[in-house]
Amino acid sequence: MIRFLLRRLTSSLFVLAGVSVITFWLARLIPSDVAAIYIGPRARPEQIERVREQLGLNEGLITQYLVYMRDMLAGDWGSSIATKRPVLDEILLRLPATLELIVAAMLIALPVGLVLGMLSARWQGRPIDMGVRIVSIVGVSLPAFFLGLLLQILFFRSLDVLPLSGRVDSDLRFVSPIDTVTGVYIVDAAVTGNWSALRDVAWHLILPAITLAAYPIGLISRMTRSAMLESLGKDYIRMARAYGLRERYIVSRLALRNAMVPVLTVIGLTLAYLLTGTFFVEIVFNWPGLGTFAVRSILATDYPAIMGIALFGAAAYVVINLVVDLAQAWVDPRIRLT
Amino acid sequence: MAATYNQLPSVISERPGFARRAARAIAHDWLALFGLVIIAVVVVAALIGPLLAPSPGDGAGVINVDERMLPPSLAYPFGTDWLGRDMLTRVILGARIALQVSLIVVGLAILIGVPLGAIAGYRRGWLDGLIMRITDLFLAFPPLLLAMAIVAALGPGLQNATLALVVSWWPWYARLARGLAVSLREWPFVDASRAMGIRESSIILRHIVPNSLGPIVVQATIDIGTVILAAGGLAFIGLGARPPAPDWGLMVAEGRQYILEQWWLSTFPGLAIFFTVLAFNLVGDLLLRLLDPRQED
Repeated sequence: MIRFLLRRLTSSLFVLAGVSVITFWLARLIPSDVAAIYIGPRARPEQIERVREQLGLNEGLITQYLVYMRDMLAGDWGSSIATKRPVLDEILLRLPATLELIVAAMLIALPVGLVLGMLSARWQGRPIDMGVRIVSIVGVSLPAFFLGLLLQILFFRSLDVLPLSGRVDSDLRFVSPIDTVTGVYIVDAAVTGNWSALRDVAWHLILPAITLAAYPIGLISRMTRSAMLESLGKDYIRMARAYGLRERYIVSRLALRNAMVPVLTVIGLTLAYLLTGTFFVEIVFNWPGLGTFAVRSILATDYPAIMGIALFGAAAYVVINLVVDLAQAWVDPRIRLT
Repeated sequence: MAATYNQLPSVISERPGFARRAARAIAHDWLALFGLVIIAVVVVAALIGPLLAPSPGDGAGVINVDERMLPPSLAYPFGTDWLGRDMLTRVILGARIALQVSLIVVGLAILIGVPLGAIAGYRRGWLDGLIMRITDLFLAFPPLLLAMAIVAALGPGLQNATLALVVSWWPWYARLARGLAVSLREWPFVDASRAMGIRESSIILRHIVPNSLGPIVVQATIDIGTVILAAGGLAFIGLGARPPAPDWGLMVAEGRQYILEQWWLSTFPGLAIFFTVLAFNLVGDLLLRLLDPRQED
């Protein structure tokens, strides 16, 4: 296991290094002069030249890359052109809001997807199987940005039971402000015992979380179904049936355990989807997270911010993949040996 | 000798009675039939949309002041937008953009990825290592993030969005084709060709690639839907087609600010994306079950 861990760790580091080359090269793709973007539209030529010098743009590409890497590793990810603040600070400032949304979506998608997948494998070919199939295929076909709008029309405009957008009610600041502990409002409200805020935060979280969970629900239920069918077809299951063990025990204990490896794979895929899926949901619901920041930076060609977000996203993804691989190796010893 | 290779059929046609199995599967599976019908409608709209649309001029930025923001009615089944353009027309015209983008992206991704993957999987060794490590780098970004960053660098627009999607899509096909090639190279008929001294490039082109086509076609079918979804997303956040193009994702975005009063502006283009993606998923599912009998219920 240690050897497996070391090998995976080194390969992850190589991937990250490669990814940094890609993000670095992307910034050089920008057709216009980066220094000119940096100062703004009314820059004089000598100002542009000064900024070029400051940013090190007159150096050779290799030198530029090495400087970029050194600064990155030292925690200096450059400053956002739009906000003039360090990119890493901007990212970390918005991370809690995005994490709150992603975790909420995962907490919805995982149990719902697993249960649906198991039900449909248990009653293969029956109406419930058909129903789950429709739910999962609709889930993976609905654009998140469109589902969000539909939910807003239904729950805000027609039923008027849930808020339209945002993380908290705009009045909340005056009525019962949330003391920041972690930046994840729902946790902060709970630990400080701020119940009216907790209710408000939870209410705001429902629609975006459901919107973000729709695709993973489809993905998870589908993969769980086929993994379960695969392991239900194995000899030891037939054996267990021959022994007269209860079907519920067979499905939920014996078959599920062996379906865990593909299910872990799908959890990794789900987290990967959520990393960027949240961008669209945040835009629809005016959620002040990483996604909103990313889209705003992209539209403004704020290239230090874009590079930072791309690298941050890729790093998060590499870590997720690493954790999933390790979890799989832990569940299934065969994986460690290959 | 050469004639025999040429006659070597691909997996799809090799199976006896594929057409009959397909027909039976479709007859039993009304969902797949539904998918096929939708795809047919979208393809027809893409091919001859301008002939079908009630007012083809509305694809561009024309203004009909008297007919602004009309709710769906008999005259305007999908309503009209803030410039008085017929939404039904715009949704029909959008089919061409959606299909064009997704066919280009999936087609180029296959053209780049499949040969690379087939070579890597057939040759193994250092070349395999090199190709797959490069593939890994592209796959190290969460889905769409790389595409977004590329569009950000190149500037928004349909062409750049398409290019960005190609760059982030081909590695999936390289990986798929490599896996297939790795298992195909162990087959006796490939061994036999090697023993006969046939050139490596011919083996890859005539045996490895054609026999990989089944799973690749399934993936491509599903991916056409996924690319429509992705391109819609890029357009929605302002990185895809520019106004006044009748692009579905862009129309959803444009209608968003009126969502509480004029709900039809975003709803119909959104439904167009949804049903098209759904249809490709349903048909992809059907193909998967036809190719992999284990999946057949």
